[in-house]
Amino acid sequence: MFKNNIKIAWRNLKKQPFFTFLNTFGLAIGMAGALLICLFIHDELSYDKMFADAERIYRIDTDIKFGGAEIKASEAAAPMAEVMLRDFPQVESAMRFRDRGSLLLRKSETSTNTKEPRVAFADSTFFDFFGINLLVGDSKTALTQPNTLILTKTAAEKHFGVDDALGQRLLLNNADTYTVTGVIDDLPKNSFLRDHSVFMAMSGYADSRSPDWGSHNYFTFIKLIPSANVADFQVPLNTLFDNYLLPWAQNYFPGITKESFLASGNYVNYHTMPLTDIHLYSNRQSEMSANSTMQNVYILSFISLFLIVLACVNFMNLSTAYSLKRAKEVGIRRTLGSNKIDLVRQFLIESGLISFISLLVALVVATLVLPFFNDLAGKSITIPYTNPIFWGILLLATIILGIFSGSYPAFFMSRFMPVKTLKGGGQSDVGGGNVRNALVVFQFAISVFLIVSTIVVFQQLTFIQNKDLGFTKDQVVLIDDVFSAGSQVEALKEEVLKLSQTKNATLSYYFPTPSSRSNGSFVKEGSLSQENAVQMQTWAVDEDYIGTMDMELIAGRNFSNEFGTDSTAMIINEATLKILGVSAEEALGLKMTDDLSVEELRFSTIIGVVKNFHYESLRENIGALGLFMDRQPSGMLAVRLNAGDFSTAIAKIEGIWNKFAPGQPFSYRFMDDSFNTTYDAEQRLGKIFMVFTVLSILIACLGLFGLAAFNAQKRTKEIGIRKVLGASVQQITYRLTTDFLKMVGISILISLPIGWFAMDKWLEDFSYRIEIGWWVFALAALLAIGVAVLTVGYQSIKAAVVNPIKSLRTE
Amino acid sequence: MLLQLNNIFKWVNSGGQRIFLLKDINLEVQEGEFISIMGPSGSGKSTLLNVIGMLDGFDEGEYQFLDEPVHSIKEKHRANLYKEYIGFVFQSYHLLDELTVKENLEMPLLYKKYKGAERKAMVADMLDRFNIVGKKDLFPAQLSGGQQQLVGIARALISNPKLILADEPTGNLNSKQGEEIMELFKQLNDEGVTIIQVTHSEKNAAYGSRIINLLDGRMI
Repeated sequence: MFKNNIKIAWRNLKKQPFFTFLNTFGLAIGMAGALLICLFIHDELSYDKMFADAERIYRIDTDIKFGGAEIKASEAAAPMAEVMLRDFPQVESAMRFRDRGSLLLRKSETSTNTKEPRVAFADSTFFDFFGINLLVGDSKTALTQPNTLILTKTAAEKHFGVDDALGQRLLLNNADTYTVTGVIDDLPKNSFLRDHSVFMAMSGYADSRSPDWGSHNYFTFIKLIPSANVADFQVPLNTLFDNYLLPWAQNYFPGITKESFLASGNYVNYHTMPLTDIHLYSNRQSEMSANSTMQNVYILSFISLFLIVLACVNFMNLSTAYSLKRAKEVGIRRTLGSNKIDLVRQFLIESGLISFISLLVALVVATLVLPFFNDLAGKSITIPYTNPIFWGILLLATIILGIFSGSYPAFFMSRFMPVKTLKGGGQSDVGGGNVRNALVVFQFAISVFLIVSTIVVFQQLTFIQNKDLGFTKDQVVLIDDVFSAGSQVEALKEEVLKLSQTKNATLSYYFPTPSSRSNGSFVKEGSLSQENAVQMQTWAVDEDYIGTMDMELIAGRNFSNEFGTDSTAMIINEATLKILGVSAEEALGLKMTDDLSVEELRFSTIIGVVKNFHYESLRENIGALGLFMDRQPSGMLAVRLNAGDFSTAIAKIEGIWNKFAPGQPFSYRFMDDSFNTTYDAEQRLGKIFMVFTVLSILIACLGLFGLAAFNAQKRTKEIGIRKVLGASVQQITYRLTTDFLKMVGISILISLPIGWFAMDKWLEDFSYRIEIGWWVFALAALLAIGVAVLTVGYQSIKAAVVNPIKSLRTE
Repeated sequence: MLLQLNNIFKWVNSGGQRIFLLKDINLEVQEGEFISIMGPSGSGKSTLLNVIGMLDGFDEGEYQFLDEPVHSIKEKHRANLYKEYIGFVFQSYHLLDELTVKENLEMPLLYKKYKGAERKAMVADMLDRFNIVGKKDLFPAQLSGGQQQLVGIARALISNPKLILADEPTGNLNSKQGEEIMELFKQLNDEGVTIIQVTHSEKNAAYGSRIINLLDGRMI
């Protein structure tokens, strides 16, 4: 019986190739899309779960409000780890990382450096704590001695084989010599350590033993004993403030009490962040690696659900529509004695067959588009072909999908009355029209919603890219690691300035695009107490900085070499004015200091005020910032180029580089690209939205196309009568098309308010954002209508030009 | 003279063979005639009717309708011609199920761009004339076959055509209903409407003033 069912199902599908194609294609697109998104979500949820005892590991985060600035740090103070281990019996072990930024690395007897972008100091308990195995070396001793480091396999193989690694000597930034004491496998892509390739022994870093509770620079991880409950941990955590931070602060601010500290609105709070939640829930300053958000996971889950539901809806719609053709078959079967259950089974087997074919198509499609998807999502996902669980889930999902989408049509058709259907007059008796219309409305509502979302996301991105940032990010090249030119840095800059392509150049570590940051708290002369401190960015720059960045001074003057006193001068931004409560003119000449602990206070004089510029993402408001003139070794050389061919300019700069820093890697990027990376997540979201909007529209159109074809067929008789009575082709086409447009109209009415609401919520994340204009909705509506007209129009015209005598034949 | 067919041929090619649907038809119809076309199944009766109604083309010959050469005028012109002068009545009525009697009657007027008030008057007139005022808000499914055909004829007549083409108008009716419809045709003919009907029944054919017999597409 079952074999017979399958055979008949197969023949039925072959008999209606158009219908089968529409169904399979729609379902396959939906499945492929959903499959990719599910793999993506699975990957997102898998972060950091591979570490031993991951569920017992927590990071200590610090929330600080001090001197007008709020900081949500993912780090804690240096003594934190030791204190946790000593004072809390629930803590089994603890370890710290200290970010070391990027590093140039070379074997001591060679001259060519390699650049390792992420380097950290790590406590020697690193291996035991995270359960990381050394390929070579001893985990007990590997990071115990100062001036030792371990490498990942990839980093090590740039210099020597893994087996030869132990005892090799490496030169860091052309200065310090370190000994390799171990090599570990590359860290998993879905871990918070994925970008790190070098770990240096913490014991060689003096600051790690500092008793300073006021600086928060150490990523501190603790592992609780299995029986401990993290919820019981918050209250004792808060005692750290009284027991450690306050006594330490009293050394520097004599007379400070907890009450006076809290009274001025300040606070320092500690929290635990589960290791496995970091990737999706943690969004703090200076995370060890860029995190995602649960919001993205939710959005994508919804989209994948949408796709599947859309595809199922299509299936139901087309199947019930085409059931007309099957009505006679149902009639014959029933007169021959088959009961409802048999019919339902036959139809379910057909839908199951279609979903299996779709699954195969979907797998092929998914495999083909996976590289593009990875590119889009910034992942390296693979389809786990060899994993039996994957296949199990896939098969189960396909069966459920087949039954789900097949059930409505099956029960719908099995209800047909044999006598009516056999008389052939049953044409207009095929009901379910309202359900079908509702389904189409639903599909288009989702599509319109996605169109609105896509437009808004892209509009916001364009807004960000074109916003007046307070500096000009275009035509600026940032050259990394200029300190490797040693004492020749200034000469290097002078040489670059001589190039005809160069407009201006400046040396600094600090730029308004992702780069180093440094902050401190400053107190105004005359109000010397920590309550009056202003927490601000303190950036060391040279006299060409403001000119090169194209920033605007609104009062005072720029730094200048002609004033010998400018080493004690500062230029503040408008945001600082606001906190100080003075106008730009009043600010000039004010003196500020950042260190109250020394005997003789050293003041900096405000000589200028620079117009606010965005140095964090546009999600943040602009905070207080001060520029200081400083000739310390610099991190980057920023070169503003004249318009023209950048590649010759860069080639020339590289030539100069090789003269002053021979053998050092020349690495550069454009400031606008660097700026754009701040919005990677949004760009990605925008692109993903666009792709899946197109997919959902495609699926909705397939459904509409099939339905229009069916509708035209069902109304053949009516069209014939109307034509005989004098209707023109245009009139008929108009009539058939408007019926569908009404449904699209309803979808638009439903989805626009939802779209507005959702996107308004999304925009709330940005301090600087667009207003959603009415034209967004108009455009979305027009797009939907346009697509619907194109889809339905063809079918309508085809139906309208048919000669009526064909459709009115009585036989 | 209302229309004239000269040496009309119509054929289809099937498997390398030419099968004639109409063969050398010569026919002249004067205004006010009542013609019955008879013949066995497949003899070409309906095809001939469709050719006369300009719903179907032909392959050879000439067709003059009110001195217009139908075979050579443009499609649009032809459509206007039959819209203006020809009404159709079908064996299975072909009323639109989702429209009421009144709306069914109104439909041809919509396509002829009559104004609202005019349409109302014409529909009311027709309902009156056919004695179906009480049924104007019913749907076709609520009427008997005879009543449906009555509406069908009323619809064909509503824009005052010169010619009514009826394809077995009583084929789906019982004998009493059929007789009533034929009486109606007779009466319309007396009022000056030209009628061409296709029929199987000798009795119905007798209502007409002239009978044309077809066999294998040829007039005999």
